Amino acid sequence: MNSFLRLLYRDLKAGIWSTKSMIVMQLVTPLFYIFVAGFAYGAVIPTMNIGGRNVGYVLFLAPGIIVMQIMFAASIAGAMLWIDKRFAMFAQILMGPFSRWQYILSKVVSIMLQGLLNAFLVFLIASPLLVGLGISPLGLAYIVGSLVLGSLFFGSLTLAISVFIRSNESFNAILNVMITPLMFLSSVYYPLENAPLAIQAVSLANPLTYAADMLRAGLLGVYAPHLFLEVIVLAVESLVVFVAAIIAFRRVKT
Amino acid sequence: MGYAANTKSELLVLLSSFVSFGWFMVTGWSLLSINLFNEDRSSFLLVKQKLAGYCVETTELTKNYGKVVAVDHVSFKVRSGEIFGFLGPNGAGKTTTIKMLTTLLRPTSGSASVLGFDVVSEGSRIRPRIGVVQQELSYEMSLSVEGNLDLYGFLWNVPKKERRERIELLLDKFGLRDVRKTGPQELSMGQRRRLQVAREFMHDCELMFLDEPTTGLDPQVRRITLDFVREKVESGMTVFFTTHIMEEAEYICDRIAIINHGQILALDTIDNIKRRFGGVSVIHLRVADGKKGLNRKLEKLSGVERIVYPQQEDEPLKVYAKDADAVLSQIIDIITSSGLHVEELRIKEPSLDDVFIQMINPKGGSHSE
Repeated sequence: MNSFLRLLYRDLKAGIWSTKSMIVMQLVTPLFYIFVAGFAYGAVIPTMNIGGRNVGYVLFLAPGIIVMQIMFAASIAGAMLWIDKRFAMFAQILMGPFSRWQYILSKVVSIMLQGLLNAFLVFLIASPLLVGLGISPLGLAYIVGSLVLGSLFFGSLTLAISVFIRSNESFNAILNVMITPLMFLSSVYYPLENAPLAIQAVSLANPLTYAADMLRAGLLGVYAPHLFLEVIVLAVESLVVFVAAIIAFRRVKT
Repeated sequence: MGYAANTKSELLVLLSSFVSFGWFMVTGWSLLSINLFNEDRSSFLLVKQKLAGYCVETTELTKNYGKVVAVDHVSFKVRSGEIFGFLGPNGAGKTTTIKMLTTLLRPTSGSASVLGFDVVSEGSRIRPRIGVVQQELSYEMSLSVEGNLDLYGFLWNVPKKERRERIELLLDKFGLRDVRKTGPQELSMGQRRRLQVAREFMHDCELMFLDEPTTGLDPQVRRITLDFVREKVESGMTVFFTTHIMEEAEYICDRIAIINHGQILALDTIDNIKRRFGGVSVIHLRVADGKKGLNRKLEKLSGVERIVYPQQEDEPLKVYAKDADAVLSQIIDIITSSGLHVEELRIKEPSLDDVFIQMINPKGGSHSE
């Protein structure tokens, strides 16, 4: 078998599967977001007009929460690298019949898989709301594209960070400091059009905005004309961070 | 509003989904192309080296960490099929040398080849042929002892049937059978170390690096481990072994290099090193009363470094000599010609410990332990 696939199998078996309790934990929060916050805010927020389609707030929020899962998943899966460093498995594998490329790719792909799995589970949780939306093949392409590019971005980002991290505490601290602004300065919770200009400007640099927009468009079946631009921006941002992660890996201390 | 789906926007959307799937393509392509590069993992045969029987060759190998010189222009050769000991105190540069030889670190200058391949440019040819037991404890935190062994064998592409067989053998050899279902976090230090050493024998290799592999092992397990290593060497493996425990080196190593402050101080068989650098052996001599001018005769002997006379009744007289054998035969001559009654006469070899401490403390600082 390809040595990359063997590394991937290792990540899934020894890395992700061992964090299965955390995955369950991660699913509780979105449940509350969608079914508690979504409906409670929905009661005070009038029906929203998204691209000519009238939807309740909960339907606006759900795609954002699904997208956020890939960010959370990436942050947990990113910890796999520093766990590998802590138990000297990182050096052990780099001295084995593998290349650094295969190692980092296996990590990126396993983070993507975890992101997709988490998003899919939240998708299932939210599915009662989504019945009757009638997702088209094009919409599905957008949904998958959003999740794949989004997890590539956040996976690479957490990997690049964890290269430089020496303790679990600092890893968690950095992620928390990073995640909260990313979460709120995006179109996850509110439509950007009505937000103050400063918030709009910052949010436009946030890849989460683009991933949320893409997923929302795919889910609701409304495609803004500038949507393809968002796809390109997200793809470019993902590429940049992916390359950054690879460069960081070349410098990693063992 | 312009949101209505029209042909133009659908085209753009189509284009954009191409972009995202382009990512899949790029990733898939890189995976495939990477697979092409590690073609020669299948040969686990213990092929004898073509290069004049040397497994490792370094020339002026150097590694600096900033201004600190960890390994300082080190040149040595390891023969195929031997157990090569790399001895030095903590921080001498042993681990850094291993990291360079196992392609983990790039040398600052100098060169090294392992199994005939350059460590910088041909790392991917080296790695499938070597095994490494790191000094640092290493295991999969989330898997049981058995799971650790199995996954490691899987990573080395060992077929499932063979993995099963090896696991059973290694669990017995390293006394891990009782804890096979236990996670490493619940194991003792010694058990974790045994797991780590056992793990490396899940796959075959031509050259194994053992970086202080017996740290934390009790004497009995240490002996079993070293015997297992020797067994493997007899079937064709070469071993690069670092330690600071001299008796261990004496027990297992064919040749040793003594390294300190990043420089090799000596490289030879243990006997030769003792002879050349240990300097002197000690002859203990005790005779029954009536010395008959013995001391005067001893002082006239050639090749004697110094004589220490006994301070107390039952202490032996000590003759320090470089070539103890030659001096001993002279002493025997004196004794026979004087008709003395010998109570004790023997040569005490210096231990490798003595040699080692003398070498790394050339100023003669006394070692207290």
